[in-house]
Amino acid sequence: MKKLGLIFVILMLVFLYAPIIVLVVYSFNDSPTRAVWGGFSIRWYIELFHDKSILDALYVTVSIALIATVASTIVGTLAAIGMHSMKPGMQSLYVNVTNLPMLTPDIVTGISLMVLFIFAKFPRGYWTMLLAHITFDAPYVIFSVLPRLRRMNKHLYEAALDLGSTPGRAMRQVILPEIMPGVVTGALLAFTMSLDDFVISYFTSVRSANLSMLIYSMTRRKVPPTINALSAIMFTVVLALLLIINRRDARQAA
Amino acid sequence: MVDDFHLIELQGVTKDFGDTLALDNINLYVRRREFVTLLGPSGCGKSTTLRIIGGFEYPTEGRVFFDGRDITDEPPYRRRVNTVFQKYALFPHLNVFDNIAFGLRIKKVSKTDISARVKAMLDLVGLKGYEKRGVDQLSGGQQQRVAIARALVNEPEVLLLDEPLGALDLRLRKDMQLELKNMQQRLGITFLYVTHDQEEALTMSDTIVVMKDGRIQQIGTPKKIYDEPKNAYVADFIGESNILPGVFIRDELVEFCGKPFRCVDKGFGSGTTVDVVLRPEDVAVGAVAEESMLTGTVLSTLFKGVHYEMMIDVGCAVLKAHSTVKQEEGSRVGITVVPFNIHVMSRGNAPDS
Amino acid sequence: MKRSWFAFPYGLWMLLFTIVPIVIIVYYAFTIDGSFSLDNFRLFFSPDIIGILLFSLWLAFLCTLICLALGYPVALFLAKTAMKRSAMLVVLFIIPMWMNFLLRTYAWMSLLEDTGLINRLLEWVGVGRVKLMYTENAVLFGLVYNFLPFMIFPIYSVLKRSDILLEEAASDLGANTLNVFTRVTLPLSLPGVVSGISMVFMPAVTTFVIPRLLGGGMFMMFGDLIESQFLTTGDWNFGSALSLVMMALILVSLGILNKTGTSANGEEGALW
Repeated sequence: MKKLGLIFVILMLVFLYAPIIVLVVYSFNDSPTRAVWGGFSIRWYIELFHDKSILDALYVTVSIALIATVASTIVGTLAAIGMHSMKPGMQSLYVNVTNLPMLTPDIVTGISLMVLFIFAKFPRGYWTMLLAHITFDAPYVIFSVLPRLRRMNKHLYEAALDLGSTPGRAMRQVILPEIMPGVVTGALLAFTMSLDDFVISYFTSVRSANLSMLIYSMTRRKVPPTINALSAIMFTVVLALLLIINRRDARQAA
Repeated sequence: MVDDFHLIELQGVTKDFGDTLALDNINLYVRRREFVTLLGPSGCGKSTTLRIIGGFEYPTEGRVFFDGRDITDEPPYRRRVNTVFQKYALFPHLNVFDNIAFGLRIKKVSKTDISARVKAMLDLVGLKGYEKRGVDQLSGGQQQRVAIARALVNEPEVLLLDEPLGALDLRLRKDMQLELKNMQQRLGITFLYVTHDQEEALTMSDTIVVMKDGRIQQIGTPKKIYDEPKNAYVADFIGESNILPGVFIRDELVEFCGKPFRCVDKGFGSGTTVDVVLRPEDVAVGAVAEESMLTGTVLSTLFKGVHYEMMIDVGCAVLKAHSTVKQEEGSRVGITVVPFNIHVMSRGNAPDS
Repeated sequence: MKRSWFAFPYGLWMLLFTIVPIVIIVYYAFTIDGSFSLDNFRLFFSPDIIGILLFSLWLAFLCTLICLALGYPVALFLAKTAMKRSAMLVVLFIIPMWMNFLLRTYAWMSLLEDTGLINRLLEWVGVGRVKLMYTENAVLFGLVYNFLPFMIFPIYSVLKRSDILLEEAASDLGANTLNVFTRVTLPLSLPGVVSGISMVFMPAVTTFVIPRLLGGGMFMMFGDLIESQFLTTGDWNFGSALSLVMMALILVSLGILNKTGTSANGEEGALW
C-alpha cells in the first residue's frame, strides 16, 4: 500500500516536472528547431541578453514587481494595523473589500481596471500596470500581517506605553518587530505574484509588456528558442524565491 | 507602614463601553504603601478600574487623582505607575535583560546604571544569570518574575497587577503570593492587585474591594469582609455560605425556617425580609437533643482532608456544614448555631456607600 | 489607541481601483448606448452563448474531477509521510505551481506538438503520430497540469492539521482501514477538499490563455468569450454582462461549497 502510494506520487512528480525539464534541456540545444539535438550550447542564453524586446520586458517586469512590492507592503501593513484596531463591523467591511480582488477572477479584475483606465482617459502602459499590480498585491500583504497582529498579545503595546514609550516609539519598537515576519512573507508573496502575473497586466497595459505578455505574444507566433532559455532562468528565479520563503517559514515554525 | 495619605483616588468614575456599563460611579482611594485588592468575578469591572488607573482606558465620567493631582487626561507613558499584565506581555523579540531594561532605556539612563539596576532586579526576583535568555524559553513562573522585574525596575510609586498569578498552577501560585507580599513590604511600594480568587485576596491584602457588575459591594480588611460581609453576595463570594431567606422580627431576633432565632444584629425594622447567612464551619452538627435549633437528615458526607463536609436536609433548606466529627449518611442530626454566627443581611446587593 | 485611520489610504485605494471599476462594469452591463437595457443579458441566453458556458463548465468540471482523483491520494500520502521527508516532497509539489503559468503551458505545447517529444516517442515504438495539439483533450490536459497543485495543497494542509490520533482512536474502536478512511479521514478533510475544488474550478472556468494556446482558439471557453468582447469585438456592454454572470457564477458556487464543507480554511488557504 505504502509502496503503491510512493510510485503514484513519483508519477505525479514526473507529470509535473517533465515539461519543465524538457524546456531546460532544449535551452541548451544548439539547433534552432526542437526536432534535432544539435549539441550543447549556451547560445540562446547569449542571444536572450541581446534581444532588446526581452530585455525591455525584463526591466518592466522586475521594476514593476519591486515598486509594487514596496508600495503594497507599506500600504498593506498600515492597513492591517488600522484594521486590527477597528470595531468589528468596520473591520469585516475592510476584510470583505480585501477579499474581493482575491475572489474575483483575474480576467474580471483585469477587464474592470482596463475599463476604468479607458474611462478615465488614462493611457494604458507602464503606470497603469503598476497601479493594477499594487491593487492585487496589497491583499496578500494584509492577509500575511493580520494573523500576526491577531496572534500578538494585545497588551504588548500597552506594556510599552506603561514603560514610558510614546505611541510612535511603541509602534516602532514593539509592534513592528512583532509583525515583521508577516510583513516580509507578505512582501515576498506580493513580489512573486507580481513577477508571475499575466492576465491583469495583459488588460491594463498596451504600451509596455512584461515577460508574461511577451511570452504570450511569442507563443502565438513562431516561437524563438530564446524562450527556452528564458524559461530556464525564470524557473531558477522562482525556485530561489520559493526556497527563501520556505526557509523563513521553517525557521518561524521552529 | 501604611500611612493615611491618599495616593490614588477615583471620584465618581463611570465607564460605558456602549453596550455594557463596565463601571458605575466608582469612588475609591488607595493609601500609600497599602496592598489593595480588587476582587470579583470576571466582568465585574475590576480590570477596567485598573486599566483606567494605568491610563489604557479613559473614563466616561469621573476623575482620577494621583498624589493629589488630576491625571485623568495623562497618557500612560507619563504616569508614575507600572503594570504587570495578565499574560505578562513580555516583548518576545527581546531577551530577559532587554525586556527589563526597556523602560530605563526610554528614560535615557546611563548604560552602567541600567546594567546595575537590571542585575539588582534579577537578584530580587530570583533570576540571577538569566539575562541572555529569550523570554519564550522561560517557564510561566519565570516569565511572571521577569514581568514584575520589568515593572519594578522603573521604581514606580504604584504597581498595578492584573491577575498576575492566573496562569500559574496552584502550588506556584501559593509560593508567589507570599513572595509578592514580602516584596511589597520590603520595597514599600503601593500595590493595586486584581484577582477573582478570594483566597488570594484574603492572604495578601491590607484592604479588599469586592466588586460586582461595575459597582463596589464592600471595602474593608480581609477579616472584616470575611466576618462581617455587608450582603449575601459578599458572603457568598468570600468563603462558602448557607444563605437562607428570613424575616427580621425585632432587634436581636430573626425568623427563618419557620422558627425565631436569637442573633446580634439590630436595626433592620421588624417585618423586613432579609438574608440570613450561616458559614458552614459555624453550623454545629450533633445528636438530636432538646437544645437543637433545627433537626435534619444527613444527605451526604464527604471527607475534605481537615474536616467532613456534610449536606443536611433540614426541611426548609439543605445546609452545608463542616465538622471534624463524621455523621453517617441518612442519620438524623440536630443543628445549632450560636447567635453571634447568625449574620443577618439586607436583601439584594445594595452597593456600599 | 485609535489607529484605524492607518487603513484609510488603503480604503481609498480599494474604493478607486476595486469598487469603482466593478461599478463601471455593472453600469455597462445594464445599458446599451447609455440607456438602461437588459438586452445584454437576453443575448447571454442565446444558444450559442449558453453552449460556450456549458462547454466551459463541463471542461472545468472534468478538470476538477481529475484533479481531485489525482490530488487526494497525493495529499494523503504527503500528510502521512514522516515529517522530514514530507517537507521536502511538499516543496517539490509547490515549485511548479509558482512557475509562470504561460511557461508551464508553453512547456506542454512543446511536448504535445506534432513533432514534439511524445509524438516522436510514439513513432519510435511504432504507433505513429497522433494529433495531440489543438484538441479538446489538449485543453483539458493543460488545465489539469496547471491546476493540480491547487487541489493538493488545501487537502494536504487540512489532513496535516487534523489529528492523526483520531484515526488511531477509530481503529482502536474496531474500525478497519476502509472504515477509518470513510468515517474519519474523509469527513475531516472535507474543508480542504472544498477549498481545493473552488481553487481549481474557479480559474479553470475563467481561463482564456490555456484554450487559446492548447486549443488553438478552436474551442471557445467563457474566458475567451469575455476577452474577445473587450479586445476584438469591442462590445463592452455585452462583455460586462458576461463578466457579471461569471462573477455571480463564482460567488454562488463558492457559497454552495462553503455551505457543504464546514468552513474552508480562509486565511491560509487563500494563499495557495
